[in-house]
Amino acid sequence: MKYLNKDIKEINKLLKSKKIKPIDLVEEAFENIEKNKDLNAYITLNKEEAIKQAKSLEDKEVDNLLFGLPIAVKDNIVTKDLRTTCASHILDNFIPIYNATVVEKIKAKNMIIIGKTNMDEFAMGSSSRTSYFGAPKNPWNPKKISGGSSGGSATTIAARDVLFALGSDTGGSIRQPASYTGIVGMKPTYGRISRFGLVAFASSLDQIGPMTKNVYENALLLNALVGKDEKDLTSVRREEEDFTRFIGKDIKGMKIAVPNYFMSDIVSSEIIDKVKEIIKLLEKKGATVDYVDVKYLENAVTLYQIIAMGEASSNLARFDGIRYGHSYENPKNIEDVYLKTRAEGFGEEVKRRIMVGSYLLSGENAKVYYNKALSIRDDMRKEFKNVFKKYDLMIGPTTTTTAYNLTDPMDDPRKSFMDDVLVIPVNMAGLPGLNLPIGFDKNNMPIGMQVIGDSFEEAKIYHLASFLEKELNLELNPFGGEEDE
Amino acid sequence: MEEKLTKEEVLHVADLARISLTEEEIEKYRVELKKLLNDVEKINDVKGYDDDILIACWEENTTLRKDEPGEMLNPKEVIGNAPRHSGNYIEVPVVISDGEGA
Repeated sequence: MKYLNKDIKEINKLLKSKKIKPIDLVEEAFENIEKNKDLNAYITLNKEEAIKQAKSLEDKEVDNLLFGLPIAVKDNIVTKDLRTTCASHILDNFIPIYNATVVEKIKAKNMIIIGKTNMDEFAMGSSSRTSYFGAPKNPWNPKKISGGSSGGSATTIAARDVLFALGSDTGGSIRQPASYTGIVGMKPTYGRISRFGLVAFASSLDQIGPMTKNVYENALLLNALVGKDEKDLTSVRREEEDFTRFIGKDIKGMKIAVPNYFMSDIVSSEIIDKVKEIIKLLEKKGATVDYVDVKYLENAVTLYQIIAMGEASSNLARFDGIRYGHSYENPKNIEDVYLKTRAEGFGEEVKRRIMVGSYLLSGENAKVYYNKALSIRDDMRKEFKNVFKKYDLMIGPTTTTTAYNLTDPMDDPRKSFMDDVLVIPVNMAGLPGLNLPIGFDKNNMPIGMQVIGDSFEEAKIYHLASFLEKELNLELNPFGGEEDE
Repeated sequence: MEEKLTKEEVLHVADLARISLTEEEIEKYRVELKKLLNDVEKINDVKGYDDDILIACWEENTTLRKDEPGEMLNPKEVIGNAPRHSGNYIEVPVVISDGEGA
């Protein structure tokens, strides 16, 4: 009997009435993962502990909709006593001694961590091919990438192994793989969710977010993750809200903006056409849609390169072979420990970014590059804010193409940045953004649309996304749902 | 001709980043790093922005917490994560030697 493909409220009822137990869901999840193991979605499974936890929940009251449900966690979020590698050789034996705040939060809901998902090394990349453990494969076509950096989380959700996964998004790393794999992925407003225990890549951009197969479950998981955390200075105190509250409501009168840059010739015509269909649909349903100019969008990749590489070089200085992780075997002196541990431990993409980042922050360069980038970033944020004075939401494609081949060349160091040209601006402005699947290309690979909101307007994003999800009613199970009972 | 950094330039950034490189890597990075550095130069073409800088998205919220001792990590566990340790100490190679620095 299969349960994880049922409606979440139905699963909850079955748990409440004791017709099924959490262990049934955990076993089903591990069966799914085993069946799909060639997709390489996981770096580490948490089987023993998950079974133990599931059994310990049997006598507990089923007090929330997430109770007893398996969840996958991206491998850059630390989990006490469960290996956390960041998909890097330098951390491939690292066992954290505390939990990230989000991990404490999902545990408080009695969700069960099923494993740690594959990703680009230290979340640096756009195809998860920089993983030390090999790339995950796209469930829609295993010859294609799942995107990145949260490629493993996207893969396991798309393959319907589990209902829930956590990802992280520094320059599109939740939304872009969500787009390539046909799932829903939300990068919340910067500060919504504590970053404590998220291994830092670019601290002023990083944000954790939920990845799910549909909009409702996404909003439900976000409910559980948000909140001010004393351990993260940049987390924000807000009044409690239910992110599902507008789901199912009409969109008549909604004002939507489409940045011209997002519909320019950098995007494949198949994707543009699909987004135009959505625009027509929205207008038919009573929303107004206008094309707008947003200054500096075309500079976002440059700003990202400077800010993300700069901050990464500083954040990754902690991997010194002294305090944790891999260490070079026969050092002659202390300098040798640093130089050779890092040479052995980091992959190419990471080395490249740290070297460029170190250069960008060294001496006078910090003023020439980093400060200038922060200054333009500020103007870009003001540009977005101006649009949201007049409009409820912004939409546009998530990616310029659909998922490409795993074997495509990796020799251009700029490629991983250009893949994220449409998702990076949202991180620059600290705004929330979501990927919604809106259709397929001629090869039956998913096409995604981004819904962007003003700061802290996640509920509004879910409102529009859920409306479209219902209208489009797409078959989003890559295996065609043939295993439904 | 493909644009390249000099070998010295690559070694300089590798030194800043504390990464040792093989000869082969140096050659590779001469090309790759140049591409990225050319990219970031594009920032100089951006015009018209004001001098304000964005350091934190929500400055109103970035208040410091009270300086009160709270829950602590177990030192044994912290030290235990170090690749080389002994008791409550982390072991490192000699840092200061006779005459010459390390």
